[in-house]
Amino acid sequence: MDAPVLSIEDLASAFGSNRVLTSVGFELRERETLGVIGPNGAGKTVMLNIITGILSPDRGRIVFLGRDISRKSVVDRARMGFGRTFQIPRSFENMTAYENSLVGAVFGAGRTEKSAGTGVCEILDLIGLGGKKLDPAGKLGLLDRKRLEIGVALASNPRVLLLDEVAGGLTESEITEIMGIVRRVKDSGVSVIWIEHVMQTMLHGTDRVMLLNEGRNVICGLPEEVMSSGEVEDAYLGSGIHARTERRG
Amino acid sequence: MLQTRSSDHAPMIAPGHRVFGIKIGSAAVVVIVLALLPLYASEYAVSVGILIFLYMSLGQMWNLLAGYSGLVSLGQQIFVGIGGYTLAMVTQAYQLSIALSFFIAAGISVVFAFIVSFPIFKMSGVYFTVGTWIVSEAMLVFFRNWEFVKYDAGYNITVAYRISMPALYLGSLAVGVGSVVLVFLILRSKLGLALMAIRDNEGAAETRGVRLYRTKLACFLISSVYTAITGVVLYLNITYVKPGAAFGIDWTVCMVFIAVIGGLGTIEGPIIGAVIYVILRQYLYNFPGISMIILGVVAVAIIMLAPAGIMGVLRNKFGFTFFSVGRQLPAGFGSIRKKAAGRRGRPS
Ligand SMILES: Nc1ncnc2c1ncn2[C@@H]1O[C@H](COP(=O)(O)OP(=O)(O)OP(=O)(O)O)[C@@H](O)[C@H]1O
Ligand SMILES: [Mg+2]
Repeated sequence: MDAPVLSIEDLASAFGSNRVLTSVGFELRERETLGVIGPNGAGKTVMLNIITGILSPDRGRIVFLGRDISRKSVVDRARMGFGRTFQIPRSFENMTAYENSLVGAVFGAGRTEKSAGTGVCEILDLIGLGGKKLDPAGKLGLLDRKRLEIGVALASNPRVLLLDEVAGGLTESEITEIMGIVRRVKDSGVSVIWIEHVMQTMLHGTDRVMLLNEGRNVICGLPEEVMSSGEVEDAYLGSGIHARTERRG
Repeated sequence: MLQTRSSDHAPMIAPGHRVFGIKIGSAAVVVIVLALLPLYASEYAVSVGILIFLYMSLGQMWNLLAGYSGLVSLGQQIFVGIGGYTLAMVTQAYQLSIALSFFIAAGISVVFAFIVSFPIFKMSGVYFTVGTWIVSEAMLVFFRNWEFVKYDAGYNITVAYRISMPALYLGSLAVGVGSVVLVFLILRSKLGLALMAIRDNEGAAETRGVRLYRTKLACFLISSVYTAITGVVLYLNITYVKPGAAFGIDWTVCMVFIAVIGGLGTIEGPIIGAVIYVILRQYLYNFPGISMIILGVVAVAIIMLAPAGIMGVLRNKFGFTFFSVGRQLPAGFGSIRKKAAGRRGRPS
């Protein structure tokens, strides 16, 4: 078995008395898509913010390719190969879709504008923004902005891609498209952490699924096993991931 | 939709290079016509021209800070003052050349800006703004109590008397055009890509790998140095320097007026703003006492009618931009928007 690309060790994080994460630890392997599920407020986004350095944890370590990067800045981690999307898109509104992605390519991947251009355009074509390359991001609709989030993250040529709810609100065929994109990205040698509430993406778009609940990673394993487990049912009792899938899908 | 350009993108795609050529050509013609102004215009017009170019430069540099890197400084008069005092000391106290003043002013201001960046860059938002203002007030007090610069007495800059009006005009034109070219080149560069990202969303820029501190510092140093260089020429025009005027907040007030009226975060904005400001101020000499009030009213009116400034309105409503710093698609990808490009293909 290969050494893990990323290992998360015993993360804990609280906001005042709100103990969001109490102990989260897992490993992300080479060329693996790890799905993350968990009820609203479970701390999935907080976990991504800690991994990318936006928040610092109260306890725990993040080891990337054998190096402890817990003290590295957001910028350093971005340049090291962490590309992420934001649940609520954060685009550069006055810049075009093309320029948005160029920022990822130039500062995240360290390329020159000239050498990055073609690759950036191919990424925009891939994610379905090919016809809107020169539209200002501020004029794009929500779904297109979510696509753009993926585009910018991919343009930064990540080693680890972190997706935070990119499929919510998409149509059936768009979801299939996104799953195809994630698979291609993974096959090109990227490890992916994919947070999503849409059942189908977790079942068919990931290699393993992890459930985050009550501050801990409760269970982790093959998608079908995890999704049909009692733990998942308990976690979603009341809100129900199946019900959500129907509503969103 | 396609016509409401938001900002900073090439308004034309397919015929990009040709349009670029036409723009360079017409800009060159404008500069030549302006350069020849002393041959055909009145002395008064030339003196107004001097002010427009110098204030344009001040406005450009303030806009580079506030409009792009989010650094709202109320202390840029420090660098005007450094420019003026360097000119006075170099040419009066040491009897050296005017040309040398430019280099020394640039050197002093880059060092000074670098040193003050340590404390003031620790502050953000309004604290940064207040911090810069406090530093400039401290400079004012310091100069008033500094024997080396003759305390509050100031200097007459007598070498300036020997400079002809046309020569001063050409120098000012060079500084003004230089400021526009400088900002244009910066925005087209990698630094510019970072600045535009920071302007739109600092947090996101950081997550994409943009080093905020370094980028803002570069911007602050460039802006400060060029403001000092402009200060040297300003004081060749004013011909005497005193602490109160050299380090007065009036300088920054007019930079703010020019950048905000013209349109923050645009290259064209400070050009339009400077023309309006200087002409308005000339006119307001007829109304001493209430001139500041009138300027204030004009500023408030424009801000209320057009929060994005005059250039913001021209751009958003009519798709007008002259200095396109938007990135063009690489060859082979440009054809997608031919139709749109054709529609936008009117002269701008
Ligand atoms: N910056 C913050 N300051 C204070 N509390 C925060 C902050 N960020 C997150 N929280 C809290 O942490 C908890 C977990 O939030 P988080 O956004 O990680 O949930 P999530 O699992 O991503 O949920 P969702 O599925 O709705 O996106 C919530 O109770 C939230 O209020
Ligand atoms: Mg979330």
